[in-house]
Amino acid sequence: MSAREEMTPNPLSVWQVIELARHQDRPYSLDYFRRLAPDFIELHGDRLSADDPALVAGVGTFHSRTTVFLGHQKGRSLKERVARNWGMMHPEGYRKAIRLAHHAAKFGFPIISLIDTPGAYPGAGAEERGIAAAIAQAIMEWFRIPVPIVAAVIGEGGSGGALGMGVADRVIMLENAIYSVASPEAAASIVWRDNSRKVEAAEQLQLTSRDLIAMGVVEEVVPEPEGSASADYDAAACALDEALQRHLAPLLSQSVEQLLQHRYDRFRYIDSLIHAEPHFGPKID
Amino acid sequence: MIADGPRPVAIQGGPLPEILLPTNCPGCGVGLQVEELREHNYVCPGCGHHFRIAAEVWIPLMADGGSWNERWADVRSHDLLNWKVPKPYQEVVEQLLEEGLNEAVRTGTCTLAGHPIWLAAFDFGFVGGTLSIVAGERLARGMEQAAASHVPYVLVTASGGARMQEGVLALMQMAKVNAAVGRLHAAGVPFFSVLTDPTFGGTAASLALLGDINIAEPGAAIGFTGPRVIKQATYADLPPGFQSAEFQLAHGQIDVVLPRTEIRPLLARLLEMHA
Repeated sequence: MSAREEMTPNPLSVWQVIELARHQDRPYSLDYFRRLAPDFIELHGDRLSADDPALVAGVGTFHSRTTVFLGHQKGRSLKERVARNWGMMHPEGYRKAIRLAHHAAKFGFPIISLIDTPGAYPGAGAEERGIAAAIAQAIMEWFRIPVPIVAAVIGEGGSGGALGMGVADRVIMLENAIYSVASPEAAASIVWRDNSRKVEAAEQLQLTSRDLIAMGVVEEVVPEPEGSASADYDAAACALDEALQRHLAPLLSQSVEQLLQHRYDRFRYIDSLIHAEPHFGPKID
Repeated sequence: MIADGPRPVAIQGGPLPEILLPTNCPGCGVGLQVEELREHNYVCPGCGHHFRIAAEVWIPLMADGGSWNERWADVRSHDLLNWKVPKPYQEVVEQLLEEGLNEAVRTGTCTLAGHPIWLAAFDFGFVGGTLSIVAGERLARGMEQAAASHVPYVLVTASGGARMQEGVLALMQMAKVNAAVGRLHAAGVPFFSVLTDPTFGGTAASLALLGDINIAEPGAAIGFTGPRVIKQATYADLPPGFQSAEFQLAHGQIDVVLPRTEIRPLLARLLEMHA
């Protein structure tokens, strides 16, 4: 589905979509990596000080091409969630991602980045170690990585923590994923100073896949199997595989100059791509 | 022979406009002398308290008198998301425009102690200085022109982060402006960032900390997540001075912490050295 009008009306409320996007049975990055590239080898560490388990990374063969995979990883059991920090990255995670982006650049491997995070970790340690600058530098650096990058929002795309992994040549999104400037809880806390207004905030934020494609922020919405991605990991991975390959293929033949100029233009004019509802639109003169 | 020292540079480019002030300094409690304060760049001469100042003050503070040429002032915010609660966004924006504020970032060209620069200043009074489509557009256009014409870029930040009311499109401004910062760096154009109180969220995590040299005002709060949210999320007690300019200096993110009265002379010297 590439246009809003081709999508059937969604019977779910915005909050129900958010609950699906955050569901603990939803497939996570590693569930997809194992299906997209069964020979996936996980690689660790930012080569500076630590390894961030909230971001899994590695190499695998995707449609007979070695590919660097990056993805936020949440946990299912409480123990695993704690270990994965609920998929919330520390500064080391962004540095690890950029280290592996340079690995991809050295060998000419394309990059697939799966986004599934409530946001970067809102803790004292992250602040002390420069989370703001780590995200800022990652965002800037992605524009210089001379290989094709396709990102897919598979669950939660929360705030700058998600964007730090979301600068790509194409960004696609699963049907029941969300992508937002802030979590509904944080937005309610900022706008109302009351995070119990999360449902109202969620409805205002326009964070579902339908909203995002209407605003031109993502290129495609990937349909999920009956009962959502949680119901059938293989079918969800199969749909994601097909969409990723379709977006990656034309990028592989582009020159580095074309690729980087297009990546720049994609984000430079992202707010002028709005094409759906009359009240949307590039109103900047 | 001993070389001459740097020529003294005035602490402001021209007279600053008057701003609304409390009767007593929140830092030391002394009664404020408005004229004295204005001549000290709105820094309390007694205790060094830095009053928050808007873009309309930063511009004459930085720019040599008569040199300011504002650009794209007519680019306007609109309610793209049909944002209605608790207040319609369109009304909020229109009211602020009526009050004489012109978006969260104003930009243009000027000279600073004779050096041509691009200047961009955030306005915390406009929806918390939040990064919006218009702010991002003004920043990106200015940086692209600065990169193309090899003119140094000076930024003054004061921002709560990305603007909620513009949703994910506000988030995307972080990528838009960082791509433009990359162009400045690729072109070898100096980018000096002055961080003032407060600089948080999407602004801290995009262009604010990407300067070739990052300068901060004393005591300015600078970080990604605000202390209230950190406490809510982690139940941690935050030490005094957490996320202050001095904290960021100690943690390697800021090059220089300097009172507002010394920032313009420092920039003049840096522009000279990086010409």
